Amino acid sequence: MRNLPTIELINVTKTFNEGRVLAVDNISLKIEDSNYVFLLGPTGCGKTTTLRMIAGLEKPTKGTVVIDGKDVEEIPTEDRDMGFIFQHFEIFDHLTVWENVTFGLEMRGYEENYIIEKAENALRTVELLDYADEFPSIFGNPGMQKLGIARAIATGAKILIMDEPLGSLDPKVSKVFRHELRNLIKDLGLTAIHVTHNQEEAMAIADKIIIMRAGRILQMGTPYELYENPNSIFVANFLGETNFLQGFVLKILDNEEMSIWIRLGGPKLNCNNFGNKFNLDDHIVISFRFEDVYLFPKDYEFESSPYDWSKIQLFNAKLETSRFIGATKRFYLTLDNGDKFLSIKPGTFEESFTAGEELIIGIHQDDIHVFKAPKNLIYELSLS
Amino acid sequence: MVKINLDNVSKSYKKFNALDHISLEIKDKEYFIILGPTGAGKTTLLKIIAGLIKPDSGKVLFDSKDVTNNTSGERNLGFMFENYALFPHMNIVENISYSGRVHARDTRNTKTLVDQVLMMTLLTGRDDAMPEELSGGMRQRVALCRALLNLEQTKLLILDEPLKALDAGLRMSLRRELLLMAKSKELELTVVHVTNEQEEAMMVADRIAIINQGKVIQVGTPNEVYYHPKNLFVANFMSEINYFDGICKKEEIPTWDILKESKRGDKFYAEIHKVSIPIPVDIGMENLFAAYIPKDRIGEIQNGDKVLLVIRSNHMKIRLGNRVQQKRNAILGKIHRRKFMGVFYRFEVKLNVKNQEKIIIVTIPATSEIHHTFLENLEVTVYFPKELGILFKHPGENVIKEVLKLE
Repeated sequence: MRNLPTIELINVTKTFNEGRVLAVDNISLKIEDSNYVFLLGPTGCGKTTTLRMIAGLEKPTKGTVVIDGKDVEEIPTEDRDMGFIFQHFEIFDHLTVWENVTFGLEMRGYEENYIIEKAENALRTVELLDYADEFPSIFGNPGMQKLGIARAIATGAKILIMDEPLGSLDPKVSKVFRHELRNLIKDLGLTAIHVTHNQEEAMAIADKIIIMRAGRILQMGTPYELYENPNSIFVANFLGETNFLQGFVLKILDNEEMSIWIRLGGPKLNCNNFGNKFNLDDHIVISFRFEDVYLFPKDYEFESSPYDWSKIQLFNAKLETSRFIGATKRFYLTLDNGDKFLSIKPGTFEESFTAGEELIIGIHQDDIHVFKAPKNLIYELSLS
Repeated sequence: MVKINLDNVSKSYKKFNALDHISLEIKDKEYFIILGPTGAGKTTLLKIIAGLIKPDSGKVLFDSKDVTNNTSGERNLGFMFENYALFPHMNIVENISYSGRVHARDTRNTKTLVDQVLMMTLLTGRDDAMPEELSGGMRQRVALCRALLNLEQTKLLILDEPLKALDAGLRMSLRRELLLMAKSKELELTVVHVTNEQEEAMMVADRIAIINQGKVIQVGTPNEVYYHPKNLFVANFMSEINYFDGICKKEEIPTWDILKESKRGDKFYAEIHKVSIPIPVDIGMENLFAAYIPKDRIGEIQNGDKVLLVIRSNHMKIRLGNRVQQKRNAILGKIHRRKFMGVFYRFEVKLNVKNQEKIIIVTIPATSEIHHTFLENLEVTVYFPKELGILFKHPGENVIKEVLKLE
């Protein structure tokens, strides 16, 4: 059984310019073996610095990096069993595909038979063996990245370090190739750490996502965990599309569900599991996903429908417009007080609503998250 | 009024044909999107419209007047290109209001307009910031503000990937704002907007021109290019697709009534029935499959012809267990991989067609039920409504390979 490495960061801090710039601020994390992990965050959040410390390209100012149970402070990059894939490939274009893969093996002084076996296997794995004698310039970007992976696995890398590997790809190509990239790395059983600022890419590929902001880790977990239970306005906003409405705590109920009543501009909402986090009159922000907003015509007969509506919060809103964008259809809605929010449905959703129509909106209690209102919500939601 | 006509426009660089006999009409007050992959010729086309490049041959007409030889300044338009530049010594407000046109206005009006565009782009309160203090996304928003403010005299806005470097959430809301602004009663702009993102095109366009290798492949509304793509390239460019090789069985009576409309009489499917004709297709399964083809393309396919049956991944449906007998256009398979992606769950389903293994992609809205019960290795039935199957005359293996290759 192959023993694959785990990676651990313990209280790691990194400063630049003699302490004047704090890039990474006392973070701890653990990456399990064979996991495809993303470091995700906006520009300047410290994700690339974190990646470079794992790779040994930067030394932590404080704290420890542990790989496979060993403190790697004294282990240089080339001895950490890592392969590197960057946005701008670092493929030698004056060497053939074959030479690009064998180059690293020759540098390490392996025997010829061993080199041939390793290079053949690696190129076959990424389906580039037929192009062994060609120069890499015949490839598009995905071919280049696959060659990078072949080079990494030929040298026995157990960990792939990737910094925006899909960053230079055409959006259409990137949307297709990202699934191929994930499948390839999962099939190889590699541990992969992938840095990006692109949340869709992270959601589509990751086993686990670590969300960073201003040098700190805000939240980590599977895409499902983060998407369903964001721990902050930032995370709720950064992953997926989310409505935010401001309101006040109207009533705190002393019941099992620890529910609170919230007054928005017009409607009142009942939310569960928040009773112990807020006080009466607290200024709060509620969030709910676009796709979690149900739409009903004004005359919908809830009594005669077979569903259980007890946990669905219903309120009135006006439909401004809708827009078909392919896989989804977007509905733009307004509350009585002018607050705007959105609902999305599958593109084939049958809708007989017209612009300007009054609708009934439904949101399941469990789909509503409540946060303390920040000083400036607009600023909090503006990320790039 | 600004109506634009391109009449047989060609442009080549050395031996490379950037644009190959392009003819287009962009209507007055239309939000027109030019969509295509990198290197398709989109930016060259836009620069020819803006008067920054002269075509080798062909004509550019603004409101039926030949402007092919007029400079950009003479054409009276506002534009923002990908390589915008901000003045490094000016703050945000100075940068966006730097223009003879803006200065000529009364200052109160200018101030209101500046505040408006700053609010729209979430830059309110950063008036005094210098370009070097801003992130890439912020600088891009400033450049966009500047293009918008230059619009006073003109009704034509030219945009080259205006939202490219922005974070996903902000990009979505700005697309909406751009569209609202273009359509506002005060402005009523004609917009020509280049992008390589299908979603952006669908979000804002009245009509989309899909360009590839210097040629116009299809022009139509978002609905038309999505549901009635003209060929495999367009079908594939608009979203992830699945395809099957098949044979047209026009003359054969299918084992199920393909003409029948759904019981619910849904508006959406009824629309497709109105403009399309059903065709039975043999894809090598026990039962015949069926898909619709637009009436104007019916002559393309004869009985016995090889065809390509295309289904978008988000039009595939999936049920646990073997339901092949109960469903139409259904195949039995096994969940090979699954991935939660947020709004959607994406499944790779392994199935057997003509005794060959085939992977079909199914994307469906993610619910907790799907998350907890549709697990890898389970047996599933995948199927699709016949109205959402897209039929082409088989273009040949080489074309399929060329269209689907990743570059």
